[in-house]
Amino acid sequence: MLTAIKEYLSRPRRLHEVGILGMNCRNYAVIAHYNQRRLYPLVDDKVQTKLLANKIGITTPKLIGVIAHQYEVKNFLQVVKDYSEFVIKPAHGSGGKGVMIIKNYTDKVFTTPSGKELTFNDIYQHISNILSGLYSLGGQYDVAVVEELVHFSNIFEKYSYQGIPDVRVIVYRGYPAMAMTRLSTAESGGRANLHQGAIGVGLDIKTGNSLRAVQHNKPVLIHPDTKEDLLSIKVPLWREHLEIAAKAYEMTGLGYLGADIVLDRDKGPMMLELNARPGLAIQIANGRGLAAAIANIEKNYPKNLSWQERVDFVLNAH
Amino acid sequence: MLKKFLSVRAILTIGLICSLIFALYSIYCKVEYWGLSFNPSQKTNIWTIEAHVSFMPTGEPIKVSIAQPTVSEDFKILDENIVAKKYQIKKDLKNNRIILTTKQAEDMQHLYYQLLLFDNEQAKGKIKAPAPAKPKKPVLDEQSLFNLQQLITLSKTMPGDVPQKIIRYINQETPDASVVALLPLKKSPQEMLDVMQNALSLEGIPNRRARGIKLAEDKKSFTPDYMLEAYTEGQWKLYDINNGKKGKPENFVLYQRGGISLVDVEGGEDSSVQFSVMKSITSTAKLASKRAALAQQQESFDNSVFNLPVLEQNTIKWLTIFPLAILVIVLLRNVVGVQTMGTFTPMLLSMALVKTGFIPGLICFTIIVSLGLLIRALMSKFNLLLVPRISAVVIFVILIMQALTLLGFRFSLDIALSAVFFPIIIMAWIIERASITWEEDGAKNACREIINSLVVAVITYFIISSEFIRHVMYVFNELNLVILFIVMLLGTYTGYRLTELKRFAPVLKDIEDVDRH
Repeated sequence: MLTAIKEYLSRPRRLHEVGILGMNCRNYAVIAHYNQRRLYPLVDDKVQTKLLANKIGITTPKLIGVIAHQYEVKNFLQVVKDYSEFVIKPAHGSGGKGVMIIKNYTDKVFTTPSGKELTFNDIYQHISNILSGLYSLGGQYDVAVVEELVHFSNIFEKYSYQGIPDVRVIVYRGYPAMAMTRLSTAESGGRANLHQGAIGVGLDIKTGNSLRAVQHNKPVLIHPDTKEDLLSIKVPLWREHLEIAAKAYEMTGLGYLGADIVLDRDKGPMMLELNARPGLAIQIANGRGLAAAIANIEKNYPKNLSWQERVDFVLNAH
Repeated sequence: MLKKFLSVRAILTIGLICSLIFALYSIYCKVEYWGLSFNPSQKTNIWTIEAHVSFMPTGEPIKVSIAQPTVSEDFKILDENIVAKKYQIKKDLKNNRIILTTKQAEDMQHLYYQLLLFDNEQAKGKIKAPAPAKPKKPVLDEQSLFNLQQLITLSKTMPGDVPQKIIRYINQETPDASVVALLPLKKSPQEMLDVMQNALSLEGIPNRRARGIKLAEDKKSFTPDYMLEAYTEGQWKLYDINNGKKGKPENFVLYQRGGISLVDVEGGEDSSVQFSVMKSITSTAKLASKRAALAQQQESFDNSVFNLPVLEQNTIKWLTIFPLAILVIVLLRNVVGVQTMGTFTPMLLSMALVKTGFIPGLICFTIIVSLGLLIRALMSKFNLLLVPRISAVVIFVILIMQALTLLGFRFSLDIALSAVFFPIIIMAWIIERASITWEEDGAKNACREIINSLVVAVITYFIISSEFIRHVMYVFNELNLVILFIVMLLGTYTGYRLTELKRFAPVLKDIEDVDRH
């Protein structure tokens, strides 16, 4: 009993020692310090992010159309008439909320990855919800973005139960600091949210090889649905992943950001979205503290390097 | 620029310290001079002493002089009132007397002098008196002097200090020869005091007589009691002349000191003075204004919240509790790390709970939310747009509230009657958010969100519903300023949240295990 209390009371000190970043510290010492408020719209608005990314040479899923007004919703079928698959998402959404993936669209029937069949009425309702701000950060009016569906590389296929596994890279002052990939499970309902039961796999920032995998905060070795060895993951084109992440710093000017990158089997790594307030679960997936990684960059990494040089530096760091 | 010299945290800490010093000083003033207290139900006794002077005029011009009570520190005069028709009233501040004069009169004269006193609990026996001059030796004939000296010598066997010894010796049940020689068997207080004072003067102890009134409820037609005062150990001390008990009796007002008469009447005969005492009780806060005036702080009091009309005071009473509730929310969110629906939703819920009462409020909340969720679930089939949909939920909430109130009245259920106190819009948003979470993340998450918010609301409720805390936050509203700085300082808190200690515990263990190997 007494040792349990002692253990609990010593946790803040020990967490600090191993360099785990807490929410308050992230918000106050990192985000408020390095991320200027005026830059937030660049990443909070997915349309803007896409345009900026294309300008700087980052590939993103192709934009099919934007629905900004309620009266345009009825023209939706016109917008997607040449596509059999697409994604509808709110421009100001967060945490994957309001993202609707249509895997197959034929004869006015929309099929989701889980096989559910939706009618135009359901789509109409969903887009209306997006426009009225249901999924946007502050609840303000939003626009719906329709973009091409990523054909995720079959390298990942066996590791994920539905959904697209993306790679999240935390970038600190332009240096990729930590990375993970989130694999959806049956329990998470095909979603990539860790608190819903998705698996977080920490990736070695130098190689893109998996370090360890966790589900519900506990280490796991094999995927519960596909039974694949989670420690055998090697993300191909790792340098390209890091380049996208490093470039995102030049693109936005945010000192602390999370870049979500997907691997398309034809077009290589693509940037899905950026996040100015990336979460802290990545530390659990990596079994490493972000504060320690940040302190290391702050102390040992040179400043004023180009994005290529920074990626080189990270890949060759020891 | 400023950042160069001072960090934000340092500035805020200085602000907090300043506001704390200000608050402490202000609280000190309010307690010390305005008589406000931390106890919400503190009452102060108010004593009305009435001196009724009556006499028969002799036909000459009349001059009545009444002693004003020597105000000791433990009582303060709230108000004075003289009822004396056709009399001119003058105050003789030097001698502490009130002089009433008039031309000759014929009928029996009745004059009333009323005095309102209140307990001044804060200052009991704090002031030391300067040492008076040594008393003169009493002028007595040889026999009396001998008797007195013998009395003093014999009294040495009695317990207590010198005045007590003498008093006790004189008051022995079977008085011995030296007492009998000086005093008649049926001795009056004045006679006893004469002997006591002579004896003390002979011993070189400064002394004087005092008269005062023992305050008791509804005492009528009495004369003030005599007491003996002697200067010992650097202070004037009161002695009960009947038993030698030292110190001022409780609820005793010293009316007058020295041998001066209570009332002198010129131009009248058969004069008599009769006193009566009445006790009334008032809340301490109501007296604050009078006390502030006494302490020459009327102006600052006039600028305080206590000078507002009662209605506004009640509003402010309600407002001053908000900062504390906000502080609780900030602590629970940023230090404990509880995730709630919306930032201030729990606070508004707790405010509603205060109005409805705890159990009825919780039951009502549960009914409204569950009915609302049910209706919202049925409505989701209609595929309405967000704003009309949330509006419809608002109207549903209003309808549920009306129905509950009607049912409550019809079947005399007080619980249902409290429905109207819940903030309608907040309830509608809770239902809407919960139903979205329900659809997206499952019922478990939706319920957890609601329960989290409710737990935070209940914690806040218990803090703000405490009579004591509400009283303190209102009466000492400068604490709001302190809370402001605490909240701002919490804005720079970078430590771990309590929930993070649990969240990161497994990864901490893993890292430490890896480090060990």
